[in-house]
Amino acid sequence: MINENDPSTLTTSGRLLNYNEAIKAGLQTGLKFTQLMDQLIKTSDPDKLVAAATQLADFQLDSDFVTFPHQYTNADYYLLFMSRMLELHDQGNQVILQSHDHHEELTQELTPLGDRGTFNFRVETSENGGVFYRERATGQSLFYLNLERKMFRFNSHALTQLFIIDLHDTVPAETVKTSVQILVDFARYLKEDYGYSVDFNILDAANRQNYQVHSADLPAGVVDRLFVSAAKNDYMLTNGANGNGARIALDKDVVVDIFNNQLEGQPEWVLTVHDNEQKISWFDVLLKYPFIRDWYLENLMDLEIVSDPLIFG
Amino acid sequence: MENQEQHASAADVLTQAIANKLDYLSTLQAAVQHGDDRKVYELLDQARYSEEVKKTRAKRSVDHLAELVDNIHPQISHYLSDKLIDYLGHIYPFFYYEEYTTGRFHIYFGNWWDRRLFGELDVVDVRFQFDQGEYDKLRTSFELEGRHQRLNTAKIEAISAESEQLQKLMDAQSVRDNEKTKLREQLKENSQKSSMPWESGKIKDERQGIIDQLTKLADEDEQALNAHKTIKANDDKILVLSKEDTILNYEKQSIRDAFDDFEHFEAHNQSLYADYLNSLVGQGQSEGEVNVDD
Repeated sequence: MINENDPSTLTTSGRLLNYNEAIKAGLQTGLKFTQLMDQLIKTSDPDKLVAAATQLADFQLDSDFVTFPHQYTNADYYLLFMSRMLELHDQGNQVILQSHDHHEELTQELTPLGDRGTFNFRVETSENGGVFYRERATGQSLFYLNLERKMFRFNSHALTQLFIIDLHDTVPAETVKTSVQILVDFARYLKEDYGYSVDFNILDAANRQNYQVHSADLPAGVVDRLFVSAAKNDYMLTNGANGNGARIALDKDVVVDIFNNQLEGQPEWVLTVHDNEQKISWFDVLLKYPFIRDWYLENLMDLEIVSDPLIFG
Repeated sequence: MENQEQHASAADVLTQAIANKLDYLSTLQAAVQHGDDRKVYELLDQARYSEEVKKTRAKRSVDHLAELVDNIHPQISHYLSDKLIDYLGHIYPFFYYEEYTTGRFHIYFGNWWDRRLFGELDVVDVRFQFDQGEYDKLRTSFELEGRHQRLNTAKIEAISAESEQLQKLMDAQSVRDNEKTKLREQLKENSQKSSMPWESGKIKDERQGIIDQLTKLADEDEQALNAHKTIKANDDKILVLSKEDTILNYEKQSIRDAFDDFEHFEAHNQSLYADYLNSLVGQGQSEGEVNVDD
């Protein structure tokens, strides 16, 4: 390599040769990049898709001797990856990727939601790495994705703020549901196809899912408030199984329990949602039952479902 | 001789007395073995049984035989509870029982959140012993229903009114602030007025008036300052009261569903012993084991 501090060690031709080598290496990097881009954009092999995305995620395109004036950011490759992943599962039309005329930047819309939300990824700069999927207008980070560590984490706070609060008055619940389902499907493919560790959080419809509430030692008044408001809405909050906590049977076979999951030692209050088909999550309950939504939002300080504290701490 | 005769008859008397007791106990034992709860109840209180079930004039029982089993009442109660609670489950579907120690049962009203501990079930006497305080609340709440009120309506209204008042006080802060500025201005003017002796009384009165107003505003400021806390505390109080009203409402509804009204409920409680034992007449022994799913 060139030793700039000691030019006397090099002959002119040696210097040129080194220069040439550095450019070749830079071009090689560029070529490698185009190959990965091809792969990311065109491959129909999901394995190759993930491989390309993972490598592009922290790809350094510029070198000291070769720089490229027009570049997308690493975050954009994630958007591309997400679109392609959905495409390979025949859901390509559920997101719309938008490029812009005068600069290299991608944004995304969820087809059902239209322009009510514009999304992109934001690269996490700390050593944790990974990216946050963010709604641009509100800055809400709906989930965190780390391709290297095969991690996917939904963020209950952001999902609640955006879908249960901000868009509540203007976007029909059904639209919200189909929009969020796209994100869930994306996470599910990563989990099922590539063994990602996924925390679906409030979107998890599995019956065994315990939604941990923020106040581990939940004040009794919070449950009392649900009791009173349920009665006003013709539902009855009953005693929980074995007298631990409370239970409310909503329509059809949907049952919500709120109870202390740690009867010995430190309390840990959780919510669960049971339904025979395991299709209903806490998020769905919030969308469907106004009095539960009101109760949740009014007591959000105590009730907010905990997201991965290492990511959203 | 006479002594011996006396002795003999004393022995006879005692033997007879013991035989009576043995007879009593073995009859009771047989009744238990045959699952004849009706017979068990009869043996436990023959006077009451004759009076309330047979409707015959009671022979005052002088033998006190039932006292023989006084100290095993917990076991008797435990045994009898199976069928009794099964029966009660049909008539009073809203009561839940918890055997907190052998043969003693807490009654809970309903299965809703924070249902009330409503008293005890006396199995041996087939009687509810309701907690007087809780029972009175229920009775009162039935009485208030005629006036379309709940037990805590008045209290909740009073507290809400206070909160509303406080909220107004908080909202009116800027109005008060303006008012104070004006009053302070007036106070300044007042103190600059030339005090001619014939005017001094009037100026003094005016000054006092301004100070009084300022003091009143300062008091309101202070109240407004604490208002937030008070409103929060009021919300908590209202929650407790609404919760109680909600529970009472469920209780009333349960009673209406089963008995139409409170009077019928009370009447049923009065005749519970006779009703229950009559229901046992005829089924008695042959039933064998009864499944109790409480």
